[in-house]
This record gives sequence, C-alpha cells and structure tokens, in this order.
Amino acid sequence: MRKSKLVSLEDAARRVENGMRIAIGGLAVNQHPMALVREIVRQSRRSLTVIGSLNGIETDLLIGAGCVDSLETSYVGLEEFGLAPNFRREVERGRLKVTEFSELLQFDRFRASQDGLTFALSNALAGTDILVHNTQIREIVCPFSGRRYHAVPPADPHVVVVHAPVGDEFGNVLVPERRVLPHNLDLVMTRACDIVIVSVERLVDHDTIRRSAYLNQIPAFRTSCIVEVPWGAHPCSMQGYYDVDRAHFRQYVTAASSEERFQEYLAHYVISPATHFEYLERAGISPGREGQWAAESRA
Amino acid sequence: MPDQPASLYERLAVVISRAVRDGEVCFTGLATGEATARYCTLVPVLGMTLAQCLHAPNLTILLAGWCHNPAPGSLTSIPTAEFSPEILNLDCESQSPEYPWSFSIRRGEVDVGFSSGAQLDREGNLNSVCVGDYERPKVRLVGPILQPEHLALFGREIIMMPRHERRTFVEAVDFVSGVGFPGGRAGRQALGLTNEGPALVITPKCVFDFDSEGAIRVASIHPGVGRSELRADTSFDLGVLDDVPWTPDPTEDELRVLRGEVDQVGLLRPR
Repeated sequence: MRKSKLVSLEDAARRVENGMRIAIGGLAVNQHPMALVREIVRQSRRSLTVIGSLNGIETDLLIGAGCVDSLETSYVGLEEFGLAPNFRREVERGRLKVTEFSELLQFDRFRASQDGLTFALSNALAGTDILVHNTQIREIVCPFSGRRYHAVPPADPHVVVVHAPVGDEFGNVLVPERRVLPHNLDLVMTRACDIVIVSVERLVDHDTIRRSAYLNQIPAFRTSCIVEVPWGAHPCSMQGYYDVDRAHFRQYVTAASSEERFQEYLAHYVISPATHFEYLERAGISPGREGQWAAESRA
Repeated sequence: MPDQPASLYERLAVVISRAVRDGEVCFTGLATGEATARYCTLVPVLGMTLAQCLHAPNLTILLAGWCHNPAPGSLTSIPTAEFSPEILNLDCESQSPEYPWSFSIRRGEVDVGFSSGAQLDREGNLNSVCVGDYERPKVRLVGPILQPEHLALFGREIIMMPRHERRTFVEAVDFVSGVGFPGGRAGRQALGLTNEGPALVITPKCVFDFDSEGAIRVASIHPGVGRSELRADTSFDLGVLDDVPWTPDPTEDELRVLRGEVDQVGLLRPR
C-alpha cells in the first residue's frame, strides 16, 4: 500500500524544529504559506534562521513572534504596504542578526543547493558594503579567464515550506500551467533540501494528478508531508485563487508598528484561533468564497 | 486638456523618454511604498512608452523585470506589486516566467535600469539598507535587493529619487548597496566594473548627471524650484549653479502623444 503523506497543519509545522535553517516559499506579497507560518508561531518555535530573497509578512510575523534569531536575505518588505515593522524594530534594537546578500545571489544560492554545489558566484558585489558586513563571502579567481568573483556558501536550508494550488495525499503537487517567478522560485526551494512541507489550497484524488502529470512539479518522492489549507496564503495573494487582502495588510502594519499592539494581533489572529478555519472567520473570510478576479485569471 | 502645462510627473516622463535610445532593453523593478512605485515604476514605464511611440520603436520595456512592452495606454493604475493582477493581465508581448529567461543580467543584456533608494551621495552611491550605524541603525530599510546587480551589471542606471531632502541627498551614504563612483570614474574602474554606472538621478527638484571625473552635478533644475531651495535641500555642495538650465518643457508633440496615447487616464497628473 502506498504511503499517505497527508497530515494535519499541526503535524506539518512540527517538522520545523528549533534552530533550523528554514526557507519559506512565496515572494513579496504573494503566495507565502501563511497558515503554516502561523502554526509555527503557535508552536513557539525558536532560534530559526530564515533564508530567502524577497521576504515579506511571513518573515516579519515570525520575527515579531520571537521565532527568528537570524536572517539571510536581500529584502524584507511589504511592497505597497511599506517597510516590515517587526523586522525594522528588531534590527534597530540590535536583536536580530541579518546577513545581507544581493537578490540574484540569493536565487543562485538555492540553485547551488539544488544542484549539490558547494558555492554560488557573484560578479556584482565589488564596492558594496555587503562585502564589509557579510563575513561568509570569499574572493575567488576564475581558472580560465582570470576574472575575479565573489563566492558564497549555498543556501542549504534544513526545511522548506511552500503553499501550492493542488496536490494529492501522496504528496504530488500540481503547479499552474501559467507559472510566474514566485512559482518557479518556490520550485527551486523545494529541490534545494530534503524536508519539503507543502500546503495546498485543495486536495485532489490521485487520478486527477495522473491526468495532469505534466503539471506535477513537486512529485511525491520530494514531499515530506502535505496538508490541505484553503486560503492558506491569506492575507497574501494566491494567483488564480485570491488577491492580496489589502485591509488585513493595513491592519497588520498598524498593529506591528508597536510591540504591544502586535501582541494583541498575535493573540487574536494567531494564538487563540483553535483552527485555521477559526482564523479565517476572524479575518472575515468564508472558505469557498474566492476573490473577484479568480474566475477570470485562474491558471 | 491639451492646454494644461505639463505636471511634474509628465515632465519627468519626458526626461526619461529623451534619455533612452532605440534598441535598448530597459528594466524596472520592485518598489516599496506607493510614492516610490509611482516614481520608480510608473514614471519610467510611461516615459519609455512615450519613447517607443516617438523615436525608439525598438526599445524593450521589462516592466517589473518580467512583463515586456505593455501596450501604450494599457496601464491604468500604478503598478504597486510586481505580481499584481493588474500586471498579470496587462496587454503586453512577452512574459518571463523565470529568471534568467529570455534575457540574462550577467550576459549584459539589460542596457538601462531604473532604481531607487533612501539615500544617494555625491559619488552616486545608493543605499536601501539602513540609515545610521549598520549594527544599530536609526532606520532599518528593506535590504540591498537587486541594487548591486543594477549598478554593476546593467549598461547604465537612471536613479529615481522620490524625495529631494537633506536626509536623502547626503555627503556619504550609510550603506553602499549600489555602487556609483567611489574615487571617481578611475575608482569605479579599479573595482573591475566595466559598465557606465549611474547616468542620471531624477528628483522632484532637479536632474543630476555625472561629470568626466564621476562627480555628481546638477544638469537641470525643474521650473519653479529656486537655486537656494535646491542648495538647502541637499547635504553636499552643489557648486556653481548660475549656468544650469531649467529642465526643458515637453514639446507640444510629446505632450500630445503622452496624454493621447500613453497615459489617457492621467496617472501622471495626480489630483
């Protein structure tokens, strides 16, 4: 009998352990696995290192909840909603260690891990203060051209957490035919490490996967566990399903701008809801009701 | 309203239209905050679209780095997110689903980049990482993002600064995330950088360029901005400003095409 990898949200989040290096899918305000991130907070995970390129509310939430000791990234921000308030406050108080990388280099560090290489290369860092503060960087010389590059270690996450449209109980995951950068960067992440945790908007039967095998870009053998979480990226957008919840983002930014009010936000939206569906209810979402643009842009 | 004088944003779009050349490949990226999105994405994209309509039909716009050549007039709101439904559904001619895809930054295939930051200094260095001491910053900003690549690997850079104040135009930036001309053009070359680097800096008060030594200088001042005001709002010395011209008015033709074909809804004329 083939093994089912279907688990509860609680059990999925338990695969993330204290002190791990974690890569979180999604980009800027899109497609972050927010339900899993909230569950990681509920379980009081500590001392995480978050590795990413265009991090957003998922990282800011973990920082505000005290789960993160250090970050390796090129961006933490909320696009139209401005700076990430918890990230900003903790760095300004000297309580969070950030190792700076350029965006392209962060993409490449995951590609290096995907391919089992022991370094990634950049030719864009000369003259920047990234070289002053990031002690992981070494200069190397190309043996063929003599050109100088900067080498950095691969991303090497212990665990990767992503949110995707649909999957089956064995851990096969379909991504949309129409893929844009957030999907593809997520896929690189899932191929860069051994523990891959996936939440999906909808669980489908195995035959559905077989009929669309060409869309199965996270095949079962890669997946450690899978959990069904409708609206699992809320308040971020999920292409083809729902747009960014702007009102919730604004509420988040206001709350996170003070430590005290952020604790109230955490209590109301993260700690006290007994289930993801109770969270959705508090956030004013009824599962099944999709964003206005879902019908026209579903992939 | 063809008789209305050009708004600031229209004027800047025309500056950009004249600064790009036929055949070039031009890149705009991610912006944080709506003011920055308007300045750093909307104005460049509409300026380049104007260029395509007037003198550069073979110019390629990479909106948000992935949406190629949006049709003139198709943009009807400020693109505030790289993967917003507006951009996903925009009338365009190619979409890059992945990076690298049809173009590669490291192969030198981007001719012009547009970027922005919280601080810019007299050497043209750009900062989007922090204000104040790095270890205990007064303000922690978003991070270096793609700025190292913009300034080191794109052909040349047009830097869009949405605020012209003493705290944004500083003697030396608190963190160099995009490299200008440290030690002048020779210093830049000594770093092994072979591209042009910053070419223009466009602010709400003036346009800067860089002289043959790599020192920043005021190329033009926007009409209505006084020379003493400009000095007061800039931390570094601007030198002699007597002969600096006004930023030119758009021609009748430029304004007609801009309002009639590129920006019918008036995004560049905010109320």
